[in-house]
Amino acid sequence: MDVAKLTMMANQIAKNLAVMGEDEAIAATADHIRQFWDPRMKAAILGGDRSGLEPVAAAAVDALG
Amino acid sequence: MQKLVRAGFGSNNVDTCARVCRSPTGYGLKTTFGTSAGTQDFDSVMDSDVILVIGANPTDAHPVFASRMKRRLRQGAKLIVIDPRRIDLVRSPHIEAAHHLPLRPGTNVAVLTAMAHVIVTEGLADEEFVRERCDWDEFSDWARFVGDERHSPEFLEDVTGVPAQIVRDAARLFATGGNGAIYYGLGVTEHSQGSSTVMAIANLAMATGNIGRRGVGVNPLRGQNNVQGACDMGSFPHELSGYRHISDGDTRALFERDWGVALDPEPGLRIPNMLDAAVDGSFRAIYIQGEDILQSDPDTKHVAAGLEAMDCVIVHDLFLNETANYAHVFLPGSTFLEKDGTFTNAERRIQPVRKVMEPANGMQDWEVTQALANAMGLGWDYGHPAEIMDEVARLTPTFAGVSFERLEKEGSLQWPVNEAFPDGAPIMHVDGFVRGKGHFVVTDYVPTDEKTGPRFPLLLTTGRILSQYNVGAQTRRTANSVWHEEDVLEMHPVDAENRGLKTGDWVRLASRKGETTLRTEVTDRVAPGVVYTTFHHPETQANVVTTDYSDWATNCPEYKVTAVQVTPSNGPSDWQEDYAQQAALSRRIEAAEPAE
Repeated sequence: MDVAKLTMMANQIAKNLAVMGEDEAIAATADHIRQFWDPRMKAAILGGDRSGLEPVAAAAVDALG
Repeated sequence: MQKLVRAGFGSNNVDTCARVCRSPTGYGLKTTFGTSAGTQDFDSVMDSDVILVIGANPTDAHPVFASRMKRRLRQGAKLIVIDPRRIDLVRSPHIEAAHHLPLRPGTNVAVLTAMAHVIVTEGLADEEFVRERCDWDEFSDWARFVGDERHSPEFLEDVTGVPAQIVRDAARLFATGGNGAIYYGLGVTEHSQGSSTVMAIANLAMATGNIGRRGVGVNPLRGQNNVQGACDMGSFPHELSGYRHISDGDTRALFERDWGVALDPEPGLRIPNMLDAAVDGSFRAIYIQGEDILQSDPDTKHVAAGLEAMDCVIVHDLFLNETANYAHVFLPGSTFLEKDGTFTNAERRIQPVRKVMEPANGMQDWEVTQALANAMGLGWDYGHPAEIMDEVARLTPTFAGVSFERLEKEGSLQWPVNEAFPDGAPIMHVDGFVRGKGHFVVTDYVPTDEKTGPRFPLLLTTGRILSQYNVGAQTRRTANSVWHEEDVLEMHPVDAENRGLKTGDWVRLASRKGETTLRTEVTDRVAPGVVYTTFHHPETQANVVTTDYSDWATNCPEYKVTAVQVTPSNGPSDWQEDYAQQAALSRRIEAAEPAE
């Protein structure tokens, strides 16, 4: 899977949930990815270059692993 | 289909055309109300006092329901239209909208938040309804958020392009004008904030007490006769029938016992993800029934690349559609006159469909799918769709009381049909929300990443017209094409003059993704800076231009906002020439050899 695209998707989810406050947004972003992403998408973002992830999305991806 | 994929293919990689139109409705209404469906029946509109139409063009896209809506408007109901274009409902014989909010494409959430700001700060919310029916703490958080000065119509005017006074007047009318009903279309869902907009609509309905009786409600205008039914039947990769998540062990166990197979608890790929995975090499085959993804899905070149990368593409359709140009196997479909089954429409009404003639291809669609399943060794032995419905009822609580026998006797049923609602439910959430308390969700406006700039200074938004249907696979083959034989690009006179264009000129429409050519029509139906076209004709392929940006929650494509440039043209684009050549080659029919 294209990690750059998955990074953009994760950042977009986090941006839309940011209004919840940082801790809740991290948990909600991780939960959203868990509920709606296929395993190969999760594996690709977990195993790929995470430098493009913004802080909330990065923490959410950490929480997945 | 979901059984074939989940039990037969052994994955959850099943998706539906609702991915590209209605998936945000499913997400948004399930989150706020507890179920993924509109709240009203169609007749409800006859009790509405204020009708808010946002991101929908009912007279073109939903003409049957629109005629009923217009009847109510002629009786005196007030109309608010939120749309970048001056659609016919804004002003037509005997009908005039009280307010038209011509917002900049992509700013739905900002406009709805500004309306909520007015309702909250002017004390127009229905506190009694909210206290009784919704979570008060969540409402308070939401009210604090929308009440902030940065969400006032005046503050957001530069973002939305809508004069603040119009927003204030519209909000006051909606909150105080009596029964307020909201009707919306793909101009709500096909945005990077499609799901947020659906939730903002639900917030507005709850805050004003407009849920749970006739004349009010949240009403998605579905684009197809059975897209509600497809969604109900577990055609999303994360959900089994009845909108139950695949990770729910109890629900999964129910299906596993009935089907005799273990199911994967992880969600599958959505259509855009399937195409990405195909390009990546990890998704190798697809079975497409009744959908023309090459023409309907965004970023056509990417769709073509995904299909070309697969080892096996099976297209099952009435016609050799555009996707069929990439098929290895084509299975002929049957029309609604040639098969038994049900259609479930936007008011959750399950309607029997009766075969009146034998299918010309020899098999009804469900029989083709069964034959495919059995070729894979699944041993299905359904003798009639009534048996499939019995299985649906056995496995789906909202359909527990549905059977073909009952449908034959009563004509139709509106789900839920079960112990709690033995005769169905024309209006939902009457005594309480399906989820318990109504859930207010704070929806912050997040601008799309698709930006205009010096190279692409205009915003393209797409839609459809009365005489053609979606990608036109069916209607382009009819005399309707006399009324609409090609897609044209609507452009405001100021933008046209700046480019030296007049109605009828060929233009090149280019985005960061691709380019196409078509004729232009100069009109003030669109605002300066906005251009509009339809996507009915494969010769144009408007989706060559659209991007792969999508709704944050569901990946529903952002068809409604693409930054473009328009320039004079003297011929087709490279893509148009290449595609015409590819289509001609793939549709060649080998001459039959003479018998010995």
